Amino acid sequence: MERAGHLPGLSADAVDWRTLTFRRGAETLDVAVPVLSEAQIAELATRVRTNARTYLRSRTVAEIAATIDRAVARLLDRDDPWRRKAERLLPLVTGYDAEMVRLGLTGYLKTFRGPELRKFVAEDFANPAVLDDFQPMPKGGFARAFGPELLLHVWAGNVPGLPLWSLISGLLVKAGTVGKLPSAEPLFAGWFAQILAEIDPELADCIAIVWWKGGDAAAERAWLTRADTVVAYGGNDALEAIRARVPITTRFLPYGHKISFGMVARSALDAGKAGAVARQAAYDVARYDQQGCYSPQTVFVERGGRVSPREFAGYLAHELDALGSKFPRRPLSMGEAGSVASWRNAEETKGFADPTRALLGDPAGSWAVAYTDAADGLSPCGLNRTVTVVAVDRLAEAVPGLAPHRAFLQTVGIAAPPEELFALAGALGAVGVTRLCALGRMTAPEAGWHHDGRFNLLDLVTMTEIEGSAERAADIFAPYTD
Amino acid sequence: MTEARLVEELLAFIAAGEADEEAFNRMALAVFAHQFETNAPYRRFATQRARTLRTVKSWRDVPAVPISAFKDLTLSGRPPEECPHVFMTSGTTKGVRGKSHHPTLAVYDRSMTVNFRRRFMAGYDRLRMGILFPTEQAMPNSSLAHYLALAKSEFGTAESRYFVSDAGLDVDGAIEALSRAEATGEPYALLGASFSVVHLMDALAERGRSFALPAGSRILDTGGFKGQSREMAAEEFYGRLSATFGVPRRLCINMYGMTELSTQFYDDGNEVCPSVKSGPHWIRSRVINPLTGQEVPRGSVGVLVHHDLAHFNCASAILTEDAGVEVDGGFQLLGRADGADAKGCSMAVEDFLKAARAT
Repeated sequence: MERAGHLPGLSADAVDWRTLTFRRGAETLDVAVPVLSEAQIAELATRVRTNARTYLRSRTVAEIAATIDRAVARLLDRDDPWRRKAERLLPLVTGYDAEMVRLGLTGYLKTFRGPELRKFVAEDFANPAVLDDFQPMPKGGFARAFGPELLLHVWAGNVPGLPLWSLISGLLVKAGTVGKLPSAEPLFAGWFAQILAEIDPELADCIAIVWWKGGDAAAERAWLTRADTVVAYGGNDALEAIRARVPITTRFLPYGHKISFGMVARSALDAGKAGAVARQAAYDVARYDQQGCYSPQTVFVERGGRVSPREFAGYLAHELDALGSKFPRRPLSMGEAGSVASWRNAEETKGFADPTRALLGDPAGSWAVAYTDAADGLSPCGLNRTVTVVAVDRLAEAVPGLAPHRAFLQTVGIAAPPEELFALAGALGAVGVTRLCALGRMTAPEAGWHHDGRFNLLDLVTMTEIEGSAERAADIFAPYTD
Repeated sequence: MTEARLVEELLAFIAAGEADEEAFNRMALAVFAHQFETNAPYRRFATQRARTLRTVKSWRDVPAVPISAFKDLTLSGRPPEECPHVFMTSGTTKGVRGKSHHPTLAVYDRSMTVNFRRRFMAGYDRLRMGILFPTEQAMPNSSLAHYLALAKSEFGTAESRYFVSDAGLDVDGAIEALSRAEATGEPYALLGASFSVVHLMDALAERGRSFALPAGSRILDTGGFKGQSREMAAEEFYGRLSATFGVPRRLCINMYGMTELSTQFYDDGNEVCPSVKSGPHWIRSRVINPLTGQEVPRGSVGVLVHHDLAHFNCASAILTEDAGVEVDGGFQLLGRADGADAKGCSMAVEDFLKAARAT
């Protein structure tokens, strides 16, 4: 039995616990998640808010970042008990291949080391000291940035460690933090809070990691009405339900499901380079079995290179097959298998009408690549390592078809020469794409990434300004005035 | 075999009252041969899976068409223009509507009436009925509208009537009929789409009305909720149904049917949810892993494949998107196997299409 969450000031005995059971093969793991009463929610909210006001606000961003850095260092140390526990339990809970989880954790956690955290802050604040004290402003006067006293994160999904992103963003702006664990991976965020407690107990008292059953209106309302700002992840239906319960005076920052894709220019398709490009694209598809918003579901491939789009689909299939042995796909639920099957079936059916279509990969295998010559545009695949290669004469031709999906576009993994990269970036940005990166890096955004094009820290704060007039007026009342 | 001959044989098969494995097999192979020979897209589909007249030896070998294919392919033995009856899916999920063409409804209607009498009428020849669904004239391409019209004309008394029209749900009319049944003691049957039943219950609750229908009264709901009304867990739904109308849960019967079938499944009431569904001797079901096509071990969850001999003009074996599990006496339906339980933040097909339609 593993106990999830972090509830400063509440004794475990006073709390009701509910068991979530995770199975992988013959192994099972019971995770106890806290079910809080309305009174406990109120108590916890007040405590976190008060602690944040008295303790977090008194620390400098540099001090907070140093504490986070120490916690992250422990999670990067493969001999640390927390790290060992993460490596052991996360594959069990999420079903992902253990080696994929291990490599993923290291790659991800590296983006939260001290220097990287400074990048985070610098990305959003030209003068990071504005988070610590009033700073002179170019327009005159002074300003200081305040984070919310109580920031509520509603996390979702099973990609290990994902909650860390917004949790750390909140701490960097000195927000009292309440995070709702995702039922699909209810451990990591609580562990992080507990590591912080070992390093700086007072800081950890400014964080509560809680749980409620998705859709539990009473618990959700109790938290939503107490927060100053709410950051929520999930599908649009879930986000809409949350938004309906957030008071109008509360800032609501939703992060919905997204779709991402790859683009391969003909100049990346000579015999020497195409193999490597396909390997990188396959890695992006395989990593976390396409569960991330940054995972590619379609790859647009330009005609006219040495390697044709159809051949590239074959390369991609080959690489996915190789990755399938190295990082086996996790066992699929019947619903997920059904989703893959209906995508495959639909692709096959379309193939009857259009013989240029192809579907590579065995039905019982752990991946599939569809190929189409038609100007099909962007469409979601069946997930779990299924991807469509769409042949286009020019990559730019694919862009207008993306415009209707503006609200859902996120990352483009791209292999193109510099001039084309910038030309395409302009067109893609205009239709709503917010991130371009190298193929092979789609699932590992760099530190300080503007998630969905937004400002991770800046979106959380409010500015308090001392206008020049106040300053000048103050002079009049100074004891030294003549 | 000509189509007319096949229809004759199917009617006789239904009339026979039962079929062992061998008899089912024989009929299934005849239907498969008919579909393979008369339906070019189906032949291509089967051939691609290496299932031909030579290789298919048992009904289990007949390749099952995914229901999504009914949207892309014209699966009809007779040219569609020669089929006076076309049933279409409501298109709730993909925007495109799947079609089932029927050159005649003789087999469909016989399948429905023989089975309905046995599973719903429980010895009554006719019952006074209230229908919570539009008429056949209002929805000419709805198989459910046809099914309910048939129920009313073949098994309803002359006073039976519809409570749904262009003007919406006739709550007053329903209250009047239900009150009358209560007063006279004549058993009453309420039939309709699950979401309409929810609407009626909501309307009755608003007016603070509930009924104690006479002994022998029964309710048939079908179709689930498909976003037409708020989702209600089956347990809550049947509890409320029983409380609102005073009908015991064992007489609250759920019908499970599809546009892509010509035969329906029923449970024997909903005292326990999920209930056990079963069909007559001319339809058989298997529970498979949708990726491998292999049957899952008995008791494991998989996706349902139905082999409906009555669906002779289209494709008798269909692969559904419904999750289920085989149990004694039939199978349990466990919702949809469409990735709705996806765990990540990667956009899934359903959401994408929904959003694309909205814009």
